[in-house]
Amino acid sequence: MSALLRAELLKLRTTRTFVTLVIVTLALSLLVVGLSTMLTEGFTEDSVRELFTFDFSSLFILLLGVVGMAGEWRHRTITSSVLAAPDRVRLLAAKLISYAVAGTVLSLIVTAALMVLGTLILSSRGETTLGLADLADVLWRNLVVAALLGAFGVCIGGLLRNQIVAIVGLLIFAFVLEPTLLALEPEVGRFGPTVGAPNGIIGINPVSEGDLLAPGIAFVVMLGWVGLGFAATAAALRRRDLV
Amino acid sequence: MAPVEIRDLHKRFGSVNAVSGLSFDVEPGRVTGFLGPNGAGKSTTLRALLGLVRPTEGTATFGGRRYDELDRPSKQVGAVLEDASFHPGRTARNHLRVLAEAGEHPPARVDEVLSAVGISDAADRRVKGYSMGMRQRLAIAAALLGDPEVLILDEPTNGLDPPGIAWMRGLVREQAAGGRAVLISSHLLAEVAQSVDDVVIISGGELRGRGTLDQVLGGDDGPATEVRAQDPDGLAASLEHRGHRVEREGPLLIVLGASPEEVGAVASEEKVTILGLAPRARSLEAAFFALTGGET
Repeated sequence: MSALLRAELLKLRTTRTFVTLVIVTLALSLLVVGLSTMLTEGFTEDSVRELFTFDFSSLFILLLGVVGMAGEWRHRTITSSVLAAPDRVRLLAAKLISYAVAGTVLSLIVTAALMVLGTLILSSRGETTLGLADLADVLWRNLVVAALLGAFGVCIGGLLRNQIVAIVGLLIFAFVLEPTLLALEPEVGRFGPTVGAPNGIIGINPVSEGDLLAPGIAFVVMLGWVGLGFAATAAALRRRDLV
Repeated sequence: MAPVEIRDLHKRFGSVNAVSGLSFDVEPGRVTGFLGPNGAGKSTTLRALLGLVRPTEGTATFGGRRYDELDRPSKQVGAVLEDASFHPGRTARNHLRVLAEAGEHPPARVDEVLSAVGISDAADRRVKGYSMGMRQRLAIAAALLGDPEVLILDEPTNGLDPPGIAWMRGLVREQAAGGRAVLISSHLLAEVAQSVDDVVIISGGELRGRGTLDQVLGGDDGPATEVRAQDPDGLAASLEHRGHRVEREGPLLIVLGASPEEVGAVASEEKVTILGLAPRARSLEAAFFALTGGET
């Protein structure tokens, strides 16, 4: 398993997509946090916490997970992947873990950078800043969400296989359907995999006034989504003839 | 137990029988040509052998074990499939490094196989800039990475230029000489005829012929002899009187089921002057068409 995991991580590192993604995510996150901290006044601890969750890595790693897995079909590399690792469930597990690791690394880089930038600007303007314990609290939540969404993206890519359909479908779901559900039926929407449960882990709900799931429960719910996605993708992958 | 064993293999896709009851072995130290017209079921058979499609019935194994049961598959089996694909943004070296990591092969093997297939100079270029022949060489490099005991090659000369084809022929013979079992599918019959020891011919998913190359070329009638004689009618009558079937191609007599020695003996007995006498080898193409009923 460790050999497969190393191979999958090497795959990630040796394509331009991941490097581009790190740069874009970092630039976008720093831009949002930089502008917000420079242009807004009267920060509270809660609003600073919320600001530091503007880590776009969760969204981008979700999309990268989709692209990485569906790309195996797009580029028809799934055949050589399965020849190298004929146990397809282990192959899927290695891919899922590698994207969870990539999500963690990406979020660590981005969150740390935006925290440093935000804190520097806020302190220079005499605004409220967070102590180390609060920063660490925001950081681990961001990391966990990025890891889980990276893994979830792999499952979606494996199930849908068509990159375009998977990405467009996921964007519609994450930006239209789930926020709508969360706003209209928060009791149901808070269990959603791309907004509801991740917001529960982060502890901030910009979509609705309804109660979020407690972080621990939201974490278990997200694990459940990933587990469900893994089981469905593994079953489909095992059954599928690669012709 | 043979390195490759196909036993009563069936594969059905919906209502289509792609492979029906196919059985054959591939022996170590020999190159086995796997021939058949388009849609005969060759690629499906190879994919079933490699665990990429699930047989409906029967087995396709390596020394009795399915591909997914092998401890280190790339150490035991190297495969080049017809539609070998690579991530276009990754370099050849990176592609092989990933496979070396997954197969737990030493990193030095990457450079060795790049050199063996002659693409070391292009190793750090992205694959999207590769010609078809270079992609094919990269696929072969990937197959050789684990120095496997069995090589499965599906149309390996696709995209190769004449020097590349000659190189491939040498590689295949070299691998067999090293004791490896090589199964090679191809539609280039003349090419296969120069490289293989054994032949398996399928059509419509069913086995149509198998054996050594000599056996398959000999056909059902056994050996055949070409003879030119001063009195072809007299010699033909004598041969037919002795039970041989004789066909005519202009002044040439084709004697089916008789060796040159037998024909020479008859001519001597009948005191017919021989102008020319030679064994007639049926071409692989002729054998192929005879066994597949002319399908292409």
